[in-house]
Amino acid sequence: MFHCISFSTGVSLYFLAQEEAEVTTGIDGLAILNQLLNGFGIVGVLLLTGLGLAITFGVMRIINLAHGEFIMLGAYVTFVMQSTFQMDLLLTIPFAFIVTAAIGAVVEFIIIRRLYGNPLETLLATWGLGIVLQGIVKLLFTAQLKYVKAPAYLSGSLVLLSDSSGAARVAISYYRLFIVLVGLALLGITMFLFYGTSWGRQIRAVTQNRDMSKCLGVNTQLIDMGTFAYGCGLAGIAGTVISPLKSVAPPMGQDYLVDAWMVVVTGGVDRLVGILAGSFLIGESNALIAFLLNDPLARVIVLTAVIVLIRYRPEGLFTVQKRV
Amino acid sequence: MSRFVRKTSRRKFLQYSSLTVGAGVLAACGNTSSKSSSSGSTADLGENPIKVGVLYSTTGSIAIVEKSLQDATFLAIDQINNGTGPWANNGAGIAGRKIQMVVVNPNSDWDLYNQMAKRLIDEDKVVAVLGCYTSASRKSVLPVFEEKDSLLYYPVYYEGNECSSNVIYTGAAPNQQITDSVPYAYKNFGPKGFFIGSDYIYPKESNRIARAELENIGGQVVGDEYAALGTTEFITIINKIKAAKPDFVLSNLVGDSIPAFYRQYKDAGIKAEDIPIMAYPTTEEEIQAMGPEFSTGHYTSFNYFQTVDTPENKAFVDEFKAMFGQNRVTNGVMEAAYLQTFFMAQAMKKVLEEGDELNTATIREATRGQEFNAPQGRVKVDPDNYHTYLHSRIARWKEDGQAEIVFSTDSAVKPIPWSQALYKGRICVHPTPDDRSNPTKETGKDLEPEFL
Repeated sequence: MFHCISFSTGVSLYFLAQEEAEVTTGIDGLAILNQLLNGFGIVGVLLLTGLGLAITFGVMRIINLAHGEFIMLGAYVTFVMQSTFQMDLLLTIPFAFIVTAAIGAVVEFIIIRRLYGNPLETLLATWGLGIVLQGIVKLLFTAQLKYVKAPAYLSGSLVLLSDSSGAARVAISYYRLFIVLVGLALLGITMFLFYGTSWGRQIRAVTQNRDMSKCLGVNTQLIDMGTFAYGCGLAGIAGTVISPLKSVAPPMGQDYLVDAWMVVVTGGVDRLVGILAGSFLIGESNALIAFLLNDPLARVIVLTAVIVLIRYRPEGLFTVQKRV
Repeated sequence: MSRFVRKTSRRKFLQYSSLTVGAGVLAACGNTSSKSSSSGSTADLGENPIKVGVLYSTTGSIAIVEKSLQDATFLAIDQINNGTGPWANNGAGIAGRKIQMVVVNPNSDWDLYNQMAKRLIDEDKVVAVLGCYTSASRKSVLPVFEEKDSLLYYPVYYEGNECSSNVIYTGAAPNQQITDSVPYAYKNFGPKGFFIGSDYIYPKESNRIARAELENIGGQVVGDEYAALGTTEFITIINKIKAAKPDFVLSNLVGDSIPAFYRQYKDAGIKAEDIPIMAYPTTEEEIQAMGPEFSTGHYTSFNYFQTVDTPENKAFVDEFKAMFGQNRVTNGVMEAAYLQTFFMAQAMKKVLEEGDELNTATIREATRGQEFNAPQGRVKVDPDNYHTYLHSRIARWKEDGQAEIVFSTDSAVKPIPWSQALYKGRICVHPTPDDRSNPTKETGKDLEPEFL
């Protein structure tokens, strides 16, 4: 996490320095700088949505196609808390985590538990689960778009550079910054849990050798359930934090599923820091290509690049060498 | 042993899950079997009801919009069957016969629209179909209706450049939505427009027409950007707008891209006073979904707004809310879905009163020239091109999410299916009676705007 922060400021500082020289000659440089800065907004969303998947897929090897629906559930929890208790968005985050984690635990107990070691069957089961969850939400809340409010103190933009007339040239909205910070904070907490606590050690032990862990007295079933629930809870937080940028609707999670998968596959699943690298690479390249060409084309190019990457480095960019 | 248990339980799980999936498929197909009467009230449909197909998705990505069109259709059919609302002077039903709806759900899948249209016509033997929202779904069912010579009532503003003998178009043609809004934006905001839209046929065609109109009056398009359908990440497009410094943004984004775009637009610090958005698909429904503070000061060009001041509209809004909930809003597409049901019913009434049989040819001929006091004002089906005379309006969105109408034609505008900026002088005249020959005619002249 620390590495990333220094890296990102490094990039902006570099561009800031370059911009000084360009301010008289080209407007383009400023626009691109602004775009790269705003690209962090995309990076933040990718990081948030990818993190939960990094747990369920990266650690537990469950191909969870219902990941998007857990994001959606988190957004709906926020919607319910806001519309019934007029709660501030930030205060709804713990509720979103608890509710989606609880649903995740139930799902693990009823479905996933029976399918460990059969990735194809988890794929089918979670795909179906996604349809069921969307259907239930549609029955409860109807298909109409709902909306949640962003807190007022997070409106407005942080202006880094403005031109002579006072118009902002390089600026990023506070809410986008907030998303990035939440993403980084969750990554930090998750890394601490995994590498700094005995629970994390047990999780890693179970992933590496389930039978051996069992012999050593680890309650693997409890560990599995806890880990899956945690991954789902993270997706729920993502849903809460993203929801003010768009509207809340049953199919909303689908938008994030593919992106989250690209992030996880690109970054590699063995180290959580790979998620950070994956979201940074995909988010910023998407932002840059979309700015220079256009949005649909940028998606095509980035997706193609990910396919090529998987071909030559199926284990992703950040992986540890394993003895098999 | 434990392995065995695990295996069987997995097999069992698969059996159960396939059962569930099967049941789901059955349920989806089961919808085709005539679901009679409207919205739950299992009223007696009496002798010899008239079968009408209702083809809107209530699941999938476009369900959010199409469900509200279905609701408006249900309201209209309920009023016709019970002889209330605009149908109060005609008695219950159409010349004594009630409408039996065959409601199907194509699940937002364009291919399923095609299959379900076939089923409605071949198996359920409906005499007409009310339905479709996206141009993609209309293009998908069009060959079916033309091949089987059946009739579709289509309630949506669209890109034009189509004139089928088997479709009654009750939404806006380009000249009823674009033609007034482009000069309005040019005059009130400035000459430079930045065009955005979702990446499919309607927004691209619509923007192509708007570009031609803007350039004709001396304006300039400083940007033209499209986002994949369903995109909710607009940082890049917003940055391009900031860099291009246009006088206004013309938006043809649809679906859940709309709330996302308006929210991020304001979040990025662009004020409505500086660069207002002129949009076509942004209606009361989408504004309710984004929160009105994000749309305040932006504009929409449409035929109908919930604030239109007519007694018919007041009744429509009250009855819609009474049936579907006080927190619901009405919008232009819903109003079109509502009014076209009355066009159909009036045409059927005419056929039955003349002692004819209800079939495609008789209903089509009877629909031509039908007039109706719709919530938006008096409207009429053009007897030549089967599009609808509609009012052209522009509104500025207020803090409460409702429209302040800033421009309105005095009466309904005659529809011109072909964009005159692209195809000068091209008109569409179906012969009487319609023998389904090619209706396209080139006059080569400028068409004067005509009103009802």
